[in-house]
Amino acid sequence: MKRTNLKIYIPILIASVALLYACNRSFLQKDPIGSYTPSTVATKAGVTGLLIGAYSLLDGQGGAGGSWDAAASNWVWGGVCSDDAHKGSDPGDQPDIVALMTWSESSTNSYNEAKWQTCYDGVQRSNEVLRVMRLATDIDPVDTVEFSAEARFLRGHYMFELKKIFNNIPIIDESVTYTLDNWRVENTSDAWPFIEADFQYAFANLPGTQSEVGRANKYAAEAYLAKAFMFEHKYGDALPLLNDLINNGTNAAGVKYKLVDKFNDNFNAATKNNSETVFAVQNSVNDGSTAANANAGDVLNFSYDPSAPVSCCGFYQPSFSLANAFKTDPVTGYPLPDTYNDVDLKNDQGLKSSDPFTPDNAIALDPRLDWTVGRRGIPFLDWGVNPGFVFVRNQASGGPYSPVKNAPYKSQVGILTDKSSWTAGYTALNVNLIRFADVLLWAAEAEVEVGSLDNAETYVNMVRNRAANPAGFVPGSPAHYFIKPYAAGYFTAQGQDVSRKLVRFERRLELAMEGQRFFDLVRYGTADTELAAYVSHEVGSGYTLMAGATFKKGQSEYFAIPQAEIDASTVAGKPTLTQNPGY
Amino acid sequence: MPTKIKLHAGLITAFLLLLSFGLSAQTTITGRVLNSVDNRPVEGATVQVRGSKIATLTASDGTFSLSTTQQKVKELVITIVGYEPLTVPVNGSSIGDVHLAITTTSLNDVVVTGYTSQRKKDITGAVTVVSVKDMKAIVSGTPEQMLQGQAAGVTIITSGAPGGPTNVFVRGVTSFGNTDPLYIVDGVPGGLHDLNSNDIESLQVLKDAGAAAIYGVRGSNGVIVITTKRGKAGKSTINYDGYYGTQRPLPGNPFHLLNSQELANALWQADITSGQVAANGYPSSQQYGNGATPVLPDYITPGGAHEGDASVNPDLYNTDYSKGNIYQITRANKQGTDWFHELFRPAPIQSHTIGLSGGSEKSTYYFSLGYFNQQGTLIETYLKRYTAKINTTFNINNHVRVGENAYVWYKNNPQISYFGENQVNYDYREQPIIPVYDIKGNFAGSNGPELGNSPNPVANQIRTKQSRGNEWQIFGNAWGEVSFLKNFVVKTSIGGTIDNNYYWNYGYHTYENAENNGSNSLSEGGGYYSNWVWTNTLSYNNNFGKHSVKALIGTEAIDVYSRSVNGFRINYFNDNPLLQTLSNGDPKGQTNGSGVGAGSLSSYFGRVDYAYNDRYLLSATLRRDGASVFGTDNTYGYFPSVSGGWVISQENFMNAVTWVNFLKLRASWGKLGSYANTPPKNQFTLYQASPGSSYYDIAGTSNSTLLGFYAQQYGSPTTGWEEDRITNIGLDAVVVNNKLDVSVEYFQKSIKGLLFQDVAGATSGAFPSSTGGSQLPTVNIGDVKNNGVDFSATYHEVVNSNFKFNVGLVLTTYKSQVVGIPGAGGYFEAGNTRIGNFVRNKVGQAIGAFYGYDVIGYFKDAADVTKSPVQQDAAPGRFKYADINKDGKIDDQDRTFFGNPNPKFTYGLNIDATYKNFDATIIFYGSYGNDVINYTRYWLDMWASFQGNKSKNLLYDSWTPSNLNPKAPILENASTFSTNTVPNSFYKESGSFFKCRSLIFGYTMPASPLKNLGIDKFRLFAQASNLFQITKYTGLDPEIGGSSAAYGIDFGQYPNNQRTYTVGVNLSF
Repeated sequence: MKRTNLKIYIPILIASVALLYACNRSFLQKDPIGSYTPSTVATKAGVTGLLIGAYSLLDGQGGAGGSWDAAASNWVWGGVCSDDAHKGSDPGDQPDIVALMTWSESSTNSYNEAKWQTCYDGVQRSNEVLRVMRLATDIDPVDTVEFSAEARFLRGHYMFELKKIFNNIPIIDESVTYTLDNWRVENTSDAWPFIEADFQYAFANLPGTQSEVGRANKYAAEAYLAKAFMFEHKYGDALPLLNDLINNGTNAAGVKYKLVDKFNDNFNAATKNNSETVFAVQNSVNDGSTAANANAGDVLNFSYDPSAPVSCCGFYQPSFSLANAFKTDPVTGYPLPDTYNDVDLKNDQGLKSSDPFTPDNAIALDPRLDWTVGRRGIPFLDWGVNPGFVFVRNQASGGPYSPVKNAPYKSQVGILTDKSSWTAGYTALNVNLIRFADVLLWAAEAEVEVGSLDNAETYVNMVRNRAANPAGFVPGSPAHYFIKPYAAGYFTAQGQDVSRKLVRFERRLELAMEGQRFFDLVRYGTADTELAAYVSHEVGSGYTLMAGATFKKGQSEYFAIPQAEIDASTVAGKPTLTQNPGY
Repeated sequence: MPTKIKLHAGLITAFLLLLSFGLSAQTTITGRVLNSVDNRPVEGATVQVRGSKIATLTASDGTFSLSTTQQKVKELVITIVGYEPLTVPVNGSSIGDVHLAITTTSLNDVVVTGYTSQRKKDITGAVTVVSVKDMKAIVSGTPEQMLQGQAAGVTIITSGAPGGPTNVFVRGVTSFGNTDPLYIVDGVPGGLHDLNSNDIESLQVLKDAGAAAIYGVRGSNGVIVITTKRGKAGKSTINYDGYYGTQRPLPGNPFHLLNSQELANALWQADITSGQVAANGYPSSQQYGNGATPVLPDYITPGGAHEGDASVNPDLYNTDYSKGNIYQITRANKQGTDWFHELFRPAPIQSHTIGLSGGSEKSTYYFSLGYFNQQGTLIETYLKRYTAKINTTFNINNHVRVGENAYVWYKNNPQISYFGENQVNYDYREQPIIPVYDIKGNFAGSNGPELGNSPNPVANQIRTKQSRGNEWQIFGNAWGEVSFLKNFVVKTSIGGTIDNNYYWNYGYHTYENAENNGSNSLSEGGGYYSNWVWTNTLSYNNNFGKHSVKALIGTEAIDVYSRSVNGFRINYFNDNPLLQTLSNGDPKGQTNGSGVGAGSLSSYFGRVDYAYNDRYLLSATLRRDGASVFGTDNTYGYFPSVSGGWVISQENFMNAVTWVNFLKLRASWGKLGSYANTPPKNQFTLYQASPGSSYYDIAGTSNSTLLGFYAQQYGSPTTGWEEDRITNIGLDAVVVNNKLDVSVEYFQKSIKGLLFQDVAGATSGAFPSSTGGSQLPTVNIGDVKNNGVDFSATYHEVVNSNFKFNVGLVLTTYKSQVVGIPGAGGYFEAGNTRIGNFVRNKVGQAIGAFYGYDVIGYFKDAADVTKSPVQQDAAPGRFKYADINKDGKIDDQDRTFFGNPNPKFTYGLNIDATYKNFDATIIFYGSYGNDVINYTRYWLDMWASFQGNKSKNLLYDSWTPSNLNPKAPILENASTFSTNTVPNSFYKESGSFFKCRSLIFGYTMPASPLKNLGIDKFRLFAQASNLFQITKYTGLDPEIGGSSAAYGIDFGQYPNNQRTYTVGVNLSF
């Protein structure tokens, strides 16, 4: 090529190639590599995965919230906001819980926001199953019913969580999506009928036995439906369901419901998914998720002894009142619902671990105490004798007690706990959402309200008899455990009011530190009086962090709807969501 | 200098081999170039045959000898920075002695702008030309830190950390996402962060649409155009530039912390105030006993033990988990550990660059090798970087030129985390009674009672010693250009980046802290990023009488692809990190993952510059960008600009005004764009599987999960281009005998359809802030408005040939206001801390404005509480908040905007002078009018926050009934709404500062004695950084960056005001 030509040809060549390339539209069409599009998941396998994804939010982890701020156990709302527990830790650690614990939270409380978001994330993941299922072509109708029933069960669960915490909530079914821009839904309609309908459908369509133990079966749905009726005070509707569960119910593996012999087997990762499990959050460790599936919601709620492998973070400390509640009558072995709080159970508040201390080993106690409340001088699972002061993070501002029900055994470390994250408190312990004792005690409650006090007594005694099994006492405990079932006819003799009190008190003892108590108090309508007494007792015992806290009747039963959600719901200057009364 | 050439010949053989083109009949022209002030020889001037690329450089005696094959040479053009260019007619083979006039103006400097270059005086857009010399007066490994205070219109917030983060705002904050300007290095999009500053020849900032619209969608944050050094025809030179220095940590007690006894005393006071006392009326503590005053123990683990106690028998000691329970024995440090100076220690810094350059009329080359090593004052942080640069140009003939620019670097740069709880945060929290090491020399920590929960920051850092992260990159392009038909040039360039990183981090099973890692662990991974850029331009240049026309059209295609992979295992059987690989770890609890990304951009652009009589200037540009990130409806966007200039000083009526040497008024309008904050797959609704977010143990196995999916993001196919409309008015003047250059400009920038992640309620199933929930797409619904003034002035004075000086002042102002935010709430929050968000970005407010309760004082007594608006937890000694809505109660509605992190202005002042062989440079920098959140006060000035160390303020100047104007609220063990649980204005402080960034004294050896050694130039210098800083801020340093949505929040940071002393050498052969 001659040089004169070079200077013509090269420019023309460059220009034409460049223009051709730039005109090539496909150059600008990049497929979304590394992710799945809707059409990819609109298959049976894809919908199966979406359903698992909807289950996976049961633990409160992996959605919008953090982990402890949206915990499945509801330890903050159900526990710390009730008379079960103090916040624990240093006073300034997780300050938003202080506001909740004293029923003075603002509408910007981060815990409320996390719980709200996580539950609606769960609702939408359930809806996603329903939506994508309808796009798939390889799903037969039976599967469709099964997918629908499980998805609606899960949606019912998430909506129930929202309902009991926030009460006035928008109802979000599968027609609501971001894409359709129809998500600004009012919160003025009562969500109970919607929740009931989901559980009704699940109850009608789910099998009794599932291939996997973590799936909802028809009895889990029935129990949830009964639970909804209990919250609505529809005892007459609840009772037949509860009777059916007691007589015919099985867990998802097909095992007939029965209280396990040892109380603590409900709080041990090695004995989970047993005959008492109605529905539980399945937690797993060492599964490649860096402990995200390992009950991350309760990760802060352990003792604080740094020489023990579980050493974080000293939250969720049982209250003085809760420990006191486990005192029993030294003659009858019955609880003391009227006098338990007169004098605090002997404890080591104000004492260091190096100071001498012996627990009161003469006083009669319900054996469930030491499976619920960690206290000095008593063996703490298999970790050895609880040393008191050094086991709590800040005794002066949290009290002397530690939580037990969510703690792993020492022998399980590394096997049923996960060591891959920043603290050792990640466990495979499930969170019991409903266990059979719960069902029995609802039945007892319903019987008190509508039926026979004798039946109520029978159910309560089933729970008490199990607690009284000496094989189930804390091994090596020096405490004097003394518990008896009620003598036959005792309830009838005492009358309905006393029976009601005894059933409720039994429920408090049996389900303490399981995130239920606050909702029960609200359900009973006695939260204001009971919590007022509680505050004055705890402050008197030295828990000054609660000084001045007041449960405001008509307001504090439900929590503040997150301000950010109200703001986001605004249309034409007017929020779609209405704040709860008093906030 | 025949011997020298011989000496260098070996080094440049490789290049010469490439240049061995045939020679033909030659003409040789000689001469000598002197300066007009004192007739001294001018070395290094370029002597070029007018209208050709044939050129040479003058020698140190000012002589040159130019050989050319051209038959007839009419004129030579002689140019060198600092002198007026001179055109000399050629008659015969010698031009004799010629004299160059020293220039005092840079108006004729040719400035590289978008795809072209222009004389500075012809520019109609807003372009800041940065003095590379002044920039290099700052000792740093990262050029963007050097830019601070050097470029009008550029605000830089940076950190003292080696290779640390820098916020670069060109004309204010224009985005809530990435605000980095587009860096164009030798015509290819690249980065500034890892350039060797010694390779930089020039650096320009394109600020307005007139200058930057040619970069279209990528121009929104401004464009910084960097040109690296090239060789010049003539003799070859070798340069060495190096320095070595020491960095000194801040002296004294910069966090104003308590010692061991003082902290114990504070505990007593808090417990007594809060009534938390034992039966005897005194506080009770495992460490300090139960008496009238706290008594420091001899040992802190076991808590409160004393010498001789059975519990401190060393036989009980154990820190090995495999041998049973941890039993640590740690002596109390009764004097108190100076944690600050345990973590921050004097550290060396050094930089060495060898450059080799030269060339002939056929080719030029520049080759450099660089080594930079800055050890951080924060132990175990450093930046080590090795660089190599090779730029070559080959003139194949008079019409065809080819060349390449290549840059390769490799670095290790371990850093701490920033803008959150990090090692510095731990450093001020760790209690003074804790020593660094226990009785057996293992790390001590907070694992005893009442020692707080901070980890030992020194241990944390020392344990990173065996971890590594390395990164290397090849960056550059190859280009060719052909001039044809007299006025046309076509140029093509293919370039790009290949970047690889690899890391492994070993985590220890810690034993010394209150909260310990559950296991040892190894995480290891790597990734690569690659892009290619193909740019083609056709340019036309012509002058018709008084008309001058330049035109350019071009195409550009960019393609990006990246992948990364990571793995993690735990439970290594011993703690020797050197022995561990992933394969050796426990598969239980292992995790691994990978990620992938891709994108493309395809563009056309054009530009016309027209000048009439050097008096009226007009310029227009248009770019059409197509981007893969947008859906098919909005794939393409158009970005036009027009700009004009009027050189008033050329008008006849200005002839009488002799003190004005040059005066130009210019204005521009145009659109820029951005797509930087749009995820590459934004248009798609996507599902994903994630072990932590969607897998679930449905079978109840306790140790395995089943595959689950979730909607990872909702797509927005309609999202399109963000448009930034910029109006700019500028005035450039050179006055008083060319001694004073002044440039002032006003700009207004309004961003329409700001790309912003959508905001929706949770009922939509998506959350903007979530980590595992469904993400909302980026949509065009934010609006931001910026306006401001950039000002720069430089005064040059040549007193005589011995004494010259320059004074430069740079002033940057901006006002960034949020005009629109998606969602009906019209705001979003950022700046998260343990007590919530400190920042609310809201319509009508400045970007990053601080939001919360406004503290108007302290409650004086119970009567004050009663008569004040109802406030949760109100009590004497606690904060009294302003009742903003005057409804008699303090609640959410009373939160207000109480601070602004944006400075009213930032300013830089450079003074440099030379006297005979001495030179001196001093550089000042300041920021005025910005607020800072001193979040360290949450930890240090409030007792109940955490049981860490506390401030002197809290113990000695907190509220008491007799101290009503304290520096901290009442010392009590209670956490309340009225003290430490909500963001409020207590934390706000003034962030204004003024500091001396650099002071340099240099001495250049006289030339003659060095000649014999073959040395052309030998300069020694001594430099001091940050000699002083004037500020009212009580934390370490008020210069605090962050994200573009929340900055100026001090969690405890790596200060940028530490003194550094260096000595260095500039040497050339």
